[in-house]
Amino acid sequence: MIGSALLRNLRRNLNGWVTLSVIGAFLALLPSLYILFGLFQKETENWQHIQEYMLVDSALQSLWLVLGTGACTIIVGVTLAWLVAAYDFPLRRFFNWAFVLPLAIPPYIAAYTYGAMLSYTGSVQTFFRNTVGWTPDQRYFDIMSMKGAIFIFTLFLFPYVYLITKTFLEKQSAAFIENARLLGKNSFHTFFVIVLPLSQGAIVGGASLVAFEVLNDFGVTKHFGISSFTTAIFKTWFGMFDVDSAIRLAAWLMSFIIGLFVIERLLRKRKKYSSPTSKMNPLKRRQLKGVWKWAAMALGLVVVSLSFLIPVIQLVVWATWTYEDVWNSGFSELLFNTLSISIVSIFILMLLAVIVANVIRYARGSTFSLMLTRFISMGYSIPGAVLSIGVLAVVISVDQKLSGVYGWLGLGEGKLVLGMSLFMLIFAYIIRFLAVGYNAVEAGFEKTGNRYTEASRLLGLGMTRTFFKVDLPLIKGAVFTGFVLVFMEIIKELPLTLLLRPYNFETLATKAYQYASDEQIHQASIPSLCIIAVGIVSVFFYHWLGEKQAK
Amino acid sequence: MTYFQMEEISFGYGTGSRNVIQEFTMRMEQGEIVGILGQSGCGKSTLLRLIAGLEEPKAGRIVINGRILVDQRQFVEPERRGVGMIFQDYALFPHLTVEQNILFGLHGLSKKERGQRLKEMLELVQMQEYSKRYPHELSGGQQQRVAFARALAPRPAILLMDEPFSNLDTELKNKIREDLKQLLRAANITSILVTHDKEDAQTICDRIIRITR
Repeated sequence: MIGSALLRNLRRNLNGWVTLSVIGAFLALLPSLYILFGLFQKETENWQHIQEYMLVDSALQSLWLVLGTGACTIIVGVTLAWLVAAYDFPLRRFFNWAFVLPLAIPPYIAAYTYGAMLSYTGSVQTFFRNTVGWTPDQRYFDIMSMKGAIFIFTLFLFPYVYLITKTFLEKQSAAFIENARLLGKNSFHTFFVIVLPLSQGAIVGGASLVAFEVLNDFGVTKHFGISSFTTAIFKTWFGMFDVDSAIRLAAWLMSFIIGLFVIERLLRKRKKYSSPTSKMNPLKRRQLKGVWKWAAMALGLVVVSLSFLIPVIQLVVWATWTYEDVWNSGFSELLFNTLSISIVSIFILMLLAVIVANVIRYARGSTFSLMLTRFISMGYSIPGAVLSIGVLAVVISVDQKLSGVYGWLGLGEGKLVLGMSLFMLIFAYIIRFLAVGYNAVEAGFEKTGNRYTEASRLLGLGMTRTFFKVDLPLIKGAVFTGFVLVFMEIIKELPLTLLLRPYNFETLATKAYQYASDEQIHQASIPSLCIIAVGIVSVFFYHWLGEKQAK
Repeated sequence: MTYFQMEEISFGYGTGSRNVIQEFTMRMEQGEIVGILGQSGCGKSTLLRLIAGLEEPKAGRIVINGRILVDQRQFVEPERRGVGMIFQDYALFPHLTVEQNILFGLHGLSKKERGQRLKEMLELVQMQEYSKRYPHELSGGQQQRVAFARALAPRPAILLMDEPFSNLDTELKNKIREDLKQLLRAANITSILVTHDKEDAQTICDRIIRITR
């Protein structure tokens, strides 16, 4: 009885969509598996040395970075979120979205912009020497340090905490906060006793995104000369040419991150602060008065200036100095490279995202769909450097397996064919950002619901025809959103691109990085501004979409 | 002869949870209109979803006109069942016009036949003038008529209606209820109507089945 039912279900559920999703999820998981296997490989001679001199130190550095940035982003992000969500003050509507703008600036660009601005010959110190006539102590401007890195990360990553906390406060917290106010608690008391504990889940969610970004970073720590875990992986790989040890380091980092993931899940599962009813009144804002009103505005202005206006203006100034140098045929090749590889990657990525989302939607709630979601989201939570080693290991072993085929095709035996092509980079981009595209599509499906699909099935159209005639027209906005978001991510991606691109293949991000590391900071401004421009468009688009959905 | 039968159908969400429906059995003659009456949450909508193939029963079988739709060994996908359904909120495709909505289920016919059937359906529900409109440009009653025409156009073996009046104002309801009754009689189709309103069922149906939790 049960056997025949199982057979029935298997026959029923096995179709092209499911097969493609399973293959996609498997491919997305492959690099991570390769890395985790690295833990069980035999240790190389270098490992002893690495363990002794690098491992603990770089792990500690990374830990300080994550903890420091985490604490600072929480302070800045939550304060601003509470101000914007609960109070009215001059320019509040502007700040509402201006606090998201720093996301348009990748931290590595901010790092070298601030680094150059605050250097001895930079605009800040020059201003003090020449205009004010005061030669300040160099120590005040020592941004190329751990503190400096935390400063940069905080300024440009706090929007994650801000956004998630603000949304939570605006939509979910009204009843509790109003009750506290009615019970006669003052604002500070309300904040510390009600708001903070209440938004714990949102804050942890935002801060863990920040932690992932910090661990993923390569540009900031490299530029500031901090020996983080990621740079240790790079050193092992390119300094000692010991890929096995690099994989082992990556495996340790990945295990740590998976652990972090699990802990966050457990924390969130035990405490559920979201309210049981779905319909809640939005939080009513209070008018700030007197000094507080101006203080709030001043704080907002300082944050927006530091985290967006100042670096962008500085970059624009540099761009006017160097555009003749940079803006040439080489630059149009750069643009072409960047656009073409992004578009090819996004196209394949969104195709896969849509297929997987459609399969998961039909099987919602089942163990199968949960596993599928986890697997395809894997790439987004592991750092780019780790992922790139995994991808490299996979591609090299595929190349070795295909060696005979290459010989037969006349490409020469024992060569790295895939490993020398753009295939590797595209593969890596897809794995890394599949979750971004998938989440956008999934949100689209969630919004339209299943009833149109069900109606179509009952009118005699199968899963595939239903998809093209009903689902796709209804979720095309969501697919487009996914497109834009992934585009922004790919354009600014640095470690993957740097490691996996073919020889001499430059994109905007790698060129900006190369200029900056060659001490040609001013030349880096134009590619950087291009990246920022794409970022701003995406941020606006996202904000606009959010407002539209809120209505 | 029995036209439609559901035999000892059981259903529950997930494997471990308690069954929402426990060994439910019902039979219908051809052309009969049966009302299923019960409070919300008693699983009456789930019954329709099981017949339509949108949910899978844990046990039992469903047969229409001698054709097995589901039992232990087989499961006919919803698109092959020949079951028409009017959803609670009608689920008219928002990106298609009235005409395109009705034509949606008429694939596999020649162009001429499709045009013919569309005309018949529009006449049946008296929506000829609205054929080029989009669903959001119609009133609730009009939307319901289009949903009716769309479900009926492919000549389903049975028509399922899930709370078809729940989205309408009370004043309109009486009139639309009468209309639907006329339409069902005119189309002479075997139908199941699910509702929580006794009056709905009494006005329209030949027979009423009450289910309790």
